[in-house]
Amino acid sequence: MTGVLPGVAPMAVPPGAFLVVATLLFAIGLAGALLKRNALSIFLSIELMMNAVNLLFLTYARMRGDLAGQMIVFFVIAVAAAEAAVGLAIFVALFRAHRTVDVDKIALLKW
Amino acid sequence: MPALSGELVVFGFASLLVLAFALLMVVQKTPVRSVLSLVVTFFGLSVLAILLAAPFIAALQIFVYAGAILVLFLFVIMLLNLKEEAADKDDRPVQRTLGLLVALALGGLLAGATLRAPLPPRGTPTGTPIPMPDEIPALGRLLFSDYLLAFEVLSLLLLVAAVGALLLSKRRFE
Amino acid sequence: MNQLWLIPFLPLAGFLLNGLVALVASSARAENESGADHPGAPLPYAQRLFHGIVGVGSVGLAAVLSFAALVPYALGSMRAPEGLAPIVQTVYTWMAAGDYTVDVAFRLDALSALMLSFVTFVGTLIHVYSVGYMQKEEGYGRYFSYLNLFMFAMLTLVLADSLPLLFVGWEGVGLCSYLLIGYYYDKDFCAAAGKKAFIANRVGDFGMVLGIFGVFALFGTADFSFVELAKRQVLAGNAPLGVYAVCLLLFLGACGKSAQVPLHVWLPDAMAGPTPVSALIHAATMVTAGVYLVARCSALFVLSPDALTLVAWIGAGTAIFAATIGLAQNDIKKVLAYSTVSQLGYMFLACGVGAFSAGMFHVFTHAFFKACLFLGSGSVIMSMHHEQDMRKMGGLAGRIPQTFRTMLVATLAIAGVFPLAGFFSKDMILGSAAASGHWALYAVGLFTAGLTAFYMFRLVSMTFFGKARGHGHGHGEHAHESPPTMTVPLWILAAFSVVAGLLGVPVALGGSDRIGRFLEASVAHPEIHEMSHGLEIGLMLLSVGVAVTGLAWAWRWYGKAAGPAEAVSPEAQAFHERTGALGRLVANKWNVDEGIEALVLSPFRKIGTFLWRGFDALFIDGIANASAFLVELLGDLLRFFTTGHVRNYALAFTLGFAALVAYVWMS
Repeated sequence: MTGVLPGVAPMAVPPGAFLVVATLLFAIGLAGALLKRNALSIFLSIELMMNAVNLLFLTYARMRGDLAGQMIVFFVIAVAAAEAAVGLAIFVALFRAHRTVDVDKIALLKW
Repeated sequence: MPALSGELVVFGFASLLVLAFALLMVVQKTPVRSVLSLVVTFFGLSVLAILLAAPFIAALQIFVYAGAILVLFLFVIMLLNLKEEAADKDDRPVQRTLGLLVALALGGLLAGATLRAPLPPRGTPTGTPIPMPDEIPALGRLLFSDYLLAFEVLSLLLLVAAVGALLLSKRRFE
Repeated sequence: MNQLWLIPFLPLAGFLLNGLVALVASSARAENESGADHPGAPLPYAQRLFHGIVGVGSVGLAAVLSFAALVPYALGSMRAPEGLAPIVQTVYTWMAAGDYTVDVAFRLDALSALMLSFVTFVGTLIHVYSVGYMQKEEGYGRYFSYLNLFMFAMLTLVLADSLPLLFVGWEGVGLCSYLLIGYYYDKDFCAAAGKKAFIANRVGDFGMVLGIFGVFALFGTADFSFVELAKRQVLAGNAPLGVYAVCLLLFLGACGKSAQVPLHVWLPDAMAGPTPVSALIHAATMVTAGVYLVARCSALFVLSPDALTLVAWIGAGTAIFAATIGLAQNDIKKVLAYSTVSQLGYMFLACGVGAFSAGMFHVFTHAFFKACLFLGSGSVIMSMHHEQDMRKMGGLAGRIPQTFRTMLVATLAIAGVFPLAGFFSKDMILGSAAASGHWALYAVGLFTAGLTAFYMFRLVSMTFFGKARGHGHGHGEHAHESPPTMTVPLWILAAFSVVAGLLGVPVALGGSDRIGRFLEASVAHPEIHEMSHGLEIGLMLLSVGVAVTGLAWAWRWYGKAAGPAEAVSPEAQAFHERTGALGRLVANKWNVDEGIEALVLSPFRKIGTFLWRGFDALFIDGIANASAFLVELLGDLLRFFTTGHVRNYALAFTLGFAALVAYVWMS
């Protein structure tokens, strides 16, 4: 990684910092997804990961001086909304079926 | 050490906020508290977006993400009356330790990889420069010209999602 | 005449026609017949007529065409000082690789003309004979179609212009031999005899194929132009060992086909087939193919004197070996079978001392008298209601006079009595052996001639003289002569047994050795030894004397045989007891079959069993079973990954992702 592309306005904050923050956020979200037992919490962690990726996109868009990155983020947010809706609906159905949201207790495909 | 400017201070504060409350979210046991932590995280992310010359995105972040999605989460929590996470201890120690390790490792790896990766040169068709500070019209123009198909598909997607959510959460199919 | 290809293809057409009609008719008959009808009934007259006409007609027509071609050729060849050039007709390009092609091409030269003459002529006669002999068989159509197929293959062999095409005919006659020996396929020993013939031939064919490859390697071509090259001693990278090896391989093929020791074992068993088959295939034509091959490749053999010596000694050894066995056989056809083996040995003896034309001359005369003998024995067997044991015969001379007279003539011919055909051809062989200084071979040949006369006259005596022996159905008193379709060929063959020798009257007796001069262009001649005419006539008198001695001795022991069937001749019985164990060994064919079983077949069977049980069942099946077991084991271990917990799955692919990132970072 280097700085911004030639011809683009320079950034006051070094871009590397943004990238590190985004990566760390992603890692935190990943940890949450792997370690939590509550299905909702897992879902939230996934949302966090998506936001980390959004941040990355924005950083790269700024570095390249390209508007396409922001466009992508726009779409990601919209899709995340749709996904959240459907996912929560599934979550509700799951709860109704099993009376619990603990993923460890819903292990039907066990060997 | 870059020059100490206002932007840098804001960046430092916002990123700290983001990371801290993200950690908090992961650590919390109550779902409600997790959601609220995440809201704060999103606010921080908005600030970072503004710093990255994307005010529209920042606004979207607040409106859609914090304002709609997370509210939806809260609705569901209250609907299902989810209490604290089960008290019994996690009986999957391997999963926990391995998961933690992998997450840390991946975090480090990804950070390193992203920092090392070179920036590909601009040569893409949509090499639209960011007109600062007034990029919203340009964004709009882009949305309805180059990304028109994606936009339409997105609307369809939202419709499908709404219908799907409705179907999935019915009590039974009569 | 340029349509040489018609000669083999007419019998092929006969085969197709006969075969098709036989198949259709038999399936129609199987549908119509109810279960009560007994199988094996003779065919309706119309169908028999059809099969007979097609069968005899196709071969007869081929014979006419053959003579139309070869008579002008032969006459022209005799007049021209160096003989005529061979007539080659190329029909079709069979294989082409690079700039070398193997064509389906037919060749008429002195050697093939000689073979063609008697193959078609004797073949036609035997086809006519079969019309009468096989008329009560249900498989009449099948018989004639196989016989026509055989003629096609034999004529292809004789007329071939290249070793590969010759080999096609070679294999074809082997196949037809198998089909015809096993003609009575529902009898176990007939089927087994057919298999034995085919497999023994196969051993020879192995050598033959390698020999063909060797010829190609030495000369760069496998058609008979290599003979010219060999004559001019032109060899690519001449290696005497290579020539020797190739000669040996080709001779191995000849041994298989012409029943030389130790590959002779199939010929006596082949007598299980119908008698005309024995006459045609195992006396007159197929078994002489080996001699024909050696004569064709004579130029090559001449280049390797060691190979020639081997050929001569194997021939002589076979001759005397088979003659001794023939002394003690009681089945009329088996005596003739061993006689054939013995006479074939003579032919190879001739080739081995360099007298290829003498060997071919003997092939020619032998075809006539041996076919006459076999057909005559068939007539005897028919009149005795399928009795083949000579000890149960006797006194038939008055009952079947035509058969008796023709067989007597043929016996005198094979014994070598002057001036019948056998005398001239056998004497040419013995004379050549003596002239080239191989006195040991001469002695063996002379002694075998005596044995030949003896056992042949023993056959005649036991069958025709004395009082009728035997009990039950096959009584001599009920014997009757055969129909003209069977006796006319006998007379024709007997006549030729008398006069065929005149083709090769040697110079010493005032003749001009026409056959030798005729064949000169086709076969090679090593150094020609001259023998004084006086010595030659002396040797001739000696051989006639030996023959007459053999005949007389047989007459003395068997001519007035009055003993019961078990001990027909008291003198012979006494002699047999005196020879004790040796006599029993000879009577049991020198135990060759048992030897082959013990030395070759039994080890092979053991190896096969070991490979089956030990190797295939244990090892290969074991590998298959083990791999299945391993897969099962793996599955049993891997199933623990499906815990059902999504967190584990997420962990799994996160791990994978981390590995990927690490890899990308490293590279």
